[in-house]
Amino acid sequence: MREFAEVLISGLTIGIVYFLVAVGFTLCYGVGRVLNYSYGSFFTWGAYLAWVLAVGYAGLNYFLVFLIVLPVMFLFGVMVDQVLIRPLRRRPEFDFSVLLVTLGLAVFLDNLVLVIFGARTKSLPEFLEGSVKIGGFTVSWQLIAMFLFALVVAVLLFAFMAKTRTGMSMRAVAQDPVGARIVGIPLFRVYAVTFGISTMLCGAGGILLAPRFFMTPLGGWTFLVKALIIVIAGGLGSIRGTLYASFILGVLEAIVGWQLGLLWVMPFWFLVLFLILLVRPAGLFGAVARKG
Amino acid sequence: MLEVENINVFYGEYQAIRDVSLRVEDAKLVSIFGPNGHGKSTLLKAVCGLLKPASGTIRFNGREVQGLPSHKLVEMGLVLISEERHLFPEMTVLENLRLGAYAKRARKKERENLEFVFGMFPKLKTLAKKRALNLSGGEARMLAIGRGLMSDAELLAIDEPSFGLAPILRTQVFQQIVALRDQGKSILLVEQTTGDIAEESDYIYLLEDGRIVFSGSKDEALHTEAVRKVFLGIT
Repeated sequence: MREFAEVLISGLTIGIVYFLVAVGFTLCYGVGRVLNYSYGSFFTWGAYLAWVLAVGYAGLNYFLVFLIVLPVMFLFGVMVDQVLIRPLRRRPEFDFSVLLVTLGLAVFLDNLVLVIFGARTKSLPEFLEGSVKIGGFTVSWQLIAMFLFALVVAVLLFAFMAKTRTGMSMRAVAQDPVGARIVGIPLFRVYAVTFGISTMLCGAGGILLAPRFFMTPLGGWTFLVKALIIVIAGGLGSIRGTLYASFILGVLEAIVGWQLGLLWVMPFWFLVLFLILLVRPAGLFGAVARKG
Repeated sequence: MLEVENINVFYGEYQAIRDVSLRVEDAKLVSIFGPNGHGKSTLLKAVCGLLKPASGTIRFNGREVQGLPSHKLVEMGLVLISEERHLFPEMTVLENLRLGAYAKRARKKERENLEFVFGMFPKLKTLAKKRALNLSGGEARMLAIGRGLMSDAELLAIDEPSFGLAPILRTQVFQQIVALRDQGKSILLVEQTTGDIAEESDYIYLLEDGRIVFSGSKDEALHTEAVRKVFLGIT
């Protein structure tokens, strides 16, 4: 029983970190209307950048690592949006062209990792060593750090979306782009900021999850698939849906990993996705018809 | 304040607006009438930056604005209140109104304009926490107008505000529009049904097949045979 509780705690922690990764993806689609196929590559780069700073060359502590990598990823995201995606928006067949371009970017970024860092797996050590006993359960400090960090980011994100003018403008563009233009919201600026935030969240997820998974140049693709599953299960464009789905699937991963082994995680994820879509074809909180 | 000269607007290969010119002077209510599907909404969209004219010029307060994106026009004081409303469905009435004041020029006066809008539409105040998708047709219409007013615009381009409203509400909305004109706003109004609003208009245009077929004052309109027929609903 105690072991189950520890697995549950682990699952909830994984869930909240997955939420960060998935919500970045949801924002990118919900606001920017872009299915970002280079999302996995951003994830990989977030992890590798952290490796360079913490292990490879600089030996910085993790606090500094986050402080450096997150803004860098934000700016990178803004740049990708302005340079690669913005020119495509004015042209016809945007949905298709953006798919090709982000896919191409993914190939480029993955190979860049391969060239610079080589194919051997790397690992990022945990932020904190050791564990602590809380009420009869043993919880590693690493897990607590992951959970707290992700929680803080999630809360800040919710506050940002609900209260700030920029956050509200992002919601407006997601709900009715024409309405957003009518009230004077500059769409291109919102798209840029959204893509930047999305990339930054992805990078944060990459750093938080790197100690748990071996880092390889193609490692990010698994997380792109996971993000996709979470986002579809929760409902494309719904942040609340992404939240619920992240926790459900995170706990599922922990339980399946504990009982059957990690290889069974993906099959079970797909099974649960399938079941959810059977009952709710648009995902848990998906809107059946989107405006705009 | 607003000068439109010889604009042509296309949807792909289809020409919706043919060689249209019009003017709106300061603090005047200018109405565009005409049958459905003949380009009235398209005209407003082109004026407000949602569509780009293929040719011709649009001048707002002396500056050329054709082709500029709508957010720049809202900053300059020109706002569209669309027939399809385009409210933000998941947001509350209050959030929609606050977003109406997104433009920098509107932010300083947000509180003042919010008071003004609630004064004009007291019902909106009671509905402040209600999400826009749960509003009735009339309430949504009021919110759309209120949101447009939050932009602190000098010229309001209003597209069929009375559409789908019960007669009592329609009269109320028209009265509000006239009151706005009396308070110094310029209004470019598009309407299908005429009658009461024609009475109050300072200038009238008739748009048919994307072309202006008549322009003049209300009295001139009533004395022109073809136009009077449209007014009396005989088409």
